[in-house]
Amino acid sequence: MKRSKIWFALFVSPILLAFTVVVVVPMLIGIYYSFTNWDGIRSGSWVGLSNYIKVLTNDKDFFKSFIFTAKFAATSVVTINLLGFLLALLVTRGLRLSNVLRSVFFMPNLIGGLILGFIWQFIFTNGFNAVGKFLGVEFLQGWLADSTTGFLGLVILMSWQMAGYMMIIYISALENIPESLLEAADIDGANSFHKLIHITIPLVAQAFTVGLFLALSNSFKLFDQNLALTGGGPYNSTQMLALNIYNTAFRFNDFGVAQAKAVLFLIAVAAITLTQIYYSKKREVEM
Amino acid sequence: MMEKKIEKKTVLTRSTNFNMGKKRNKNILLTISILLGLLYLSPFYLVITNSLKTQQGIFLNVMGLPFDKFFKPHNYLEAFKQLDFIKSFINSLVITTSSTVAIIIFSSMASWMLVRTKTKFSSFLFFLFAAAMLIPFQSVMLPLVNIAGKLGLLNPVGLVFMYLGFGSSLSIMLYHGFIKNIPYELEEAATIDGCNTFQIFWHIIFPLLKPITVTVSILNAMWIWNDFLLPQLVINKPQWQTIPLKMFYFFGQYSRRWDLALAGLVISMIPIIVFYFTVQKHIIKGITQGSIK
Amino acid sequence: MFKQKTISKLLIIVMLMSSMLLSACGTKTNETQGTGSDKEEIVEVDIFQFKVEIAQELEAAIKAYQNDNPNVKINLQTVGGGDDYGAALRAKFQSGNEPAIFNVGGPQDVQDWLDRLEELTNEAWVDKALTGVLSGVTVEDKVYGLPFNMEGYGLIYNKRIFEAAGIDGDKIVDFASLEDAVKTLDAKIKAGELKEEFPLLEAVFEYAAKETWVTGLHTSNAFISQEFNSSLDAFDAKTLEFKYADQLKKFIDLQADYTSNAKSKNRLNAVDYSTQVEHGLALERVAIIQQGNWVFGGVNNINPEVAENLGILPMPVVGVKEDSIPVGVPMYWTVNKNKDEKVIDAAKDFLNWLYTSDTGKDYIVNKFYFIPPLEGYGDLKANDPISAEVLRFAEAGRVMPWVFMGYPTGWGMDVLGVNIQKYYAGEITWDEAVQDSITKWQETR
Repeated sequence: MKRSKIWFALFVSPILLAFTVVVVVPMLIGIYYSFTNWDGIRSGSWVGLSNYIKVLTNDKDFFKSFIFTAKFAATSVVTINLLGFLLALLVTRGLRLSNVLRSVFFMPNLIGGLILGFIWQFIFTNGFNAVGKFLGVEFLQGWLADSTTGFLGLVILMSWQMAGYMMIIYISALENIPESLLEAADIDGANSFHKLIHITIPLVAQAFTVGLFLALSNSFKLFDQNLALTGGGPYNSTQMLALNIYNTAFRFNDFGVAQAKAVLFLIAVAAITLTQIYYSKKREVEM
Repeated sequence: MMEKKIEKKTVLTRSTNFNMGKKRNKNILLTISILLGLLYLSPFYLVITNSLKTQQGIFLNVMGLPFDKFFKPHNYLEAFKQLDFIKSFINSLVITTSSTVAIIIFSSMASWMLVRTKTKFSSFLFFLFAAAMLIPFQSVMLPLVNIAGKLGLLNPVGLVFMYLGFGSSLSIMLYHGFIKNIPYELEEAATIDGCNTFQIFWHIIFPLLKPITVTVSILNAMWIWNDFLLPQLVINKPQWQTIPLKMFYFFGQYSRRWDLALAGLVISMIPIIVFYFTVQKHIIKGITQGSIK
Repeated sequence: MFKQKTISKLLIIVMLMSSMLLSACGTKTNETQGTGSDKEEIVEVDIFQFKVEIAQELEAAIKAYQNDNPNVKINLQTVGGGDDYGAALRAKFQSGNEPAIFNVGGPQDVQDWLDRLEELTNEAWVDKALTGVLSGVTVEDKVYGLPFNMEGYGLIYNKRIFEAAGIDGDKIVDFASLEDAVKTLDAKIKAGELKEEFPLLEAVFEYAAKETWVTGLHTSNAFISQEFNSSLDAFDAKTLEFKYADQLKKFIDLQADYTSNAKSKNRLNAVDYSTQVEHGLALERVAIIQQGNWVFGGVNNINPEVAENLGILPMPVVGVKEDSIPVGVPMYWTVNKNKDEKVIDAAKDFLNWLYTSDTGKDYIVNKFYFIPPLEGYGDLKANDPISAEVLRFAEAGRVMPWVFMGYPTGWGMDVLGVNIQKYYAGEITWDEAVQDSITKWQETR
């Protein structure tokens, strides 16, 4: 018994040490700072709950970016997972080129977020404009100039990047479905749609849980792509939470308030994702 | 008898019809996939063609192929030189490799223990690691460098240590899910054979983790290779600059040298693509295993 | 019992490991100190600066300085990637790895960093400083910063297009003559008269409303600087009257009405710096943009012919000051007073050398392409055409100060700049934009 505890310590402590030093302790210090008027230079003085009160009662932009982020997360979680699942279905049909396509769909993950954002900014503003003018489609012109196209731009960018990631999760889930089940369904005369609804989807439900958690937490934390693609503009209407927190800290030098926002943000995201996991789990069992 | 035969026949005809339909379907699906694939690759088309153009060419004709007076392969030489590529490549390689290896070793060890030890403390730790996935980096950034400065971590070794900390959440989640599916009997047999815990892990468990290890290594290597903020905070010294740090010299206060930046992007993507292609066969089996159960 | 023991064991392991880490680093620092004292004492000066554009040339200047001063070792760090310097600098100081020389932007920065700033009042270059350039870094008659350079901005125009349209840029000295010229040019572009010579030309202006520093800081500065004499005045002002808000409206309307997005001004909110400068001015798609002498390098990279033929028109504030451009100091060098005296002295000496020695001056003007903020440069003059134009305005006294560094923190970009975007998008009226900006100014002070 005693021995096993020593082993436990030996195996767990190295990574726990790193984790504690670089994540837990800074987070705790950050929480402490949320109760001060810290300016990022000198350690500030204690101000109690006033930062929280300020954020909750008198910061319209924070709420706007919260709503925008929630809308974005809701949309992109669906598009990312749907697209990822469809891609996975496509490349598990035993088509020729399947292996090449798997790599192709995964490739966007190989470029860093900031540079990806710049490239897509280029595509939306210049590329879309050129195509729009050529075809005479008004809608394709002037992208990223308003919050609607800014929103769509972010959704497209993230779906493009993350669908390949999700695809890989779904591929392995799909490949785990016993061939015999599908054959049996064939013999029973089920069409493809029925098979998808009644066999495939229930059997990959557990992969959906993973996919939803990853997409949700990534959407909520999104920073690089937001900064590079729209920078939060126009008039901060596409500013997401992480960017809002960053600007509060580094543009307005309100580090205490920024930390308070980060804490509120963490509580909200944790609540949302945990609820999501809870319900997905429940559904998995029910199915 | 008759009845059965007839039944069989109908099944047969139905399935031949089905097969023919299937073939046509397959061709349609293949076409769709290829079109999607091209759509997926189009941003890369822009990156590559424009990396071969002059600045003027990029702005005048962003969609076109690089030729005539706009053709400037020299960008690559210039980017190679300005990135100090050999040196920054080695820096990136050393940092990415050692961080990834450290993450794999320590997170697989910890995950195994966390799965096999069924105490409240153990589940608490796992929950803590998972919850940390939700912390935005920007909110721990300043306290982190403060601590790092006090502990003398502002050097490459410290950077690897930080990557270990930041990489732990996802990696432990992935390993944890995978290890749960490994039958406990294997270990029991080994214990009877007189192996100690350390030997059991390295000789029996770790080899079984190969698929998920590949996944963990790809995900971490990709992220660390492209990371800009952490190295910029921790080791922004000329002798230790990584490729992303050097890349950002193409993005000035005002001007962006797209010609050089895109060429630089292409050459810095090559190593990670090579890495991905060599190990991707294994990833298909790996990534899904890390479910939250 | 068991649990307590486990925890204490865990603690011991953690402590062991961290002590290993600490001791490893401890020995390292000792070593470097050892080698230092063995020979002649080497003074190390760390520079942490933001201007990527001069990074390579500054490195060369440092080498030149080190050749003359073998006992000084200067380590240069440049923060790339645009506007993250403030964040990086804070992180740098948080880490305890404080640089000896760093940059500040104006009164707010000086106030934030004051207990780190070495007083530079007695430096040799102070007496040579041009009038007004030190006010932003002076607190109670003490000078804390050496200006980087002078920058000027206005309406940069393509002289060849003006010539082809028969307009003389030198005659534009007020809003009326500017409006006339713009209308003439617009008519000719629309009639296709300039099509042959300038096939891409499609509008008079391009205006980067996406970059809130262009609208909220630079444009607004011309008008708000009529209210305050210096960034320090603005910094001390509890309220903003916004006396010239109507003139500001006239000016941003003019810039918007003659862009290719005139009919859907909300699209200006997606126009960024690159679209304005590189995709607009450099390709001769437009004839005039509101920018400063810093665009030269970028335009030159794309189209040297255009770059060589650029001039500046004034930014007219109707009925107040119509013939001038804003000229000011974008950034200052400062010395960290928490360093060793030797390091501080070396840092001061280096800055002095860079801006006053013959070799240094050559770097400033011919390698960094700076407009020097000090006197005593004699024949050394910025040799790109836009800087030459800025100098021409300065010498004629047709300048107004930069006061936007004295705006409340974040106000220029995130309040006024954002309000201008909303105005272009039709979300709010101009009066609402002005009112909101005035209120927010007061709230933050």
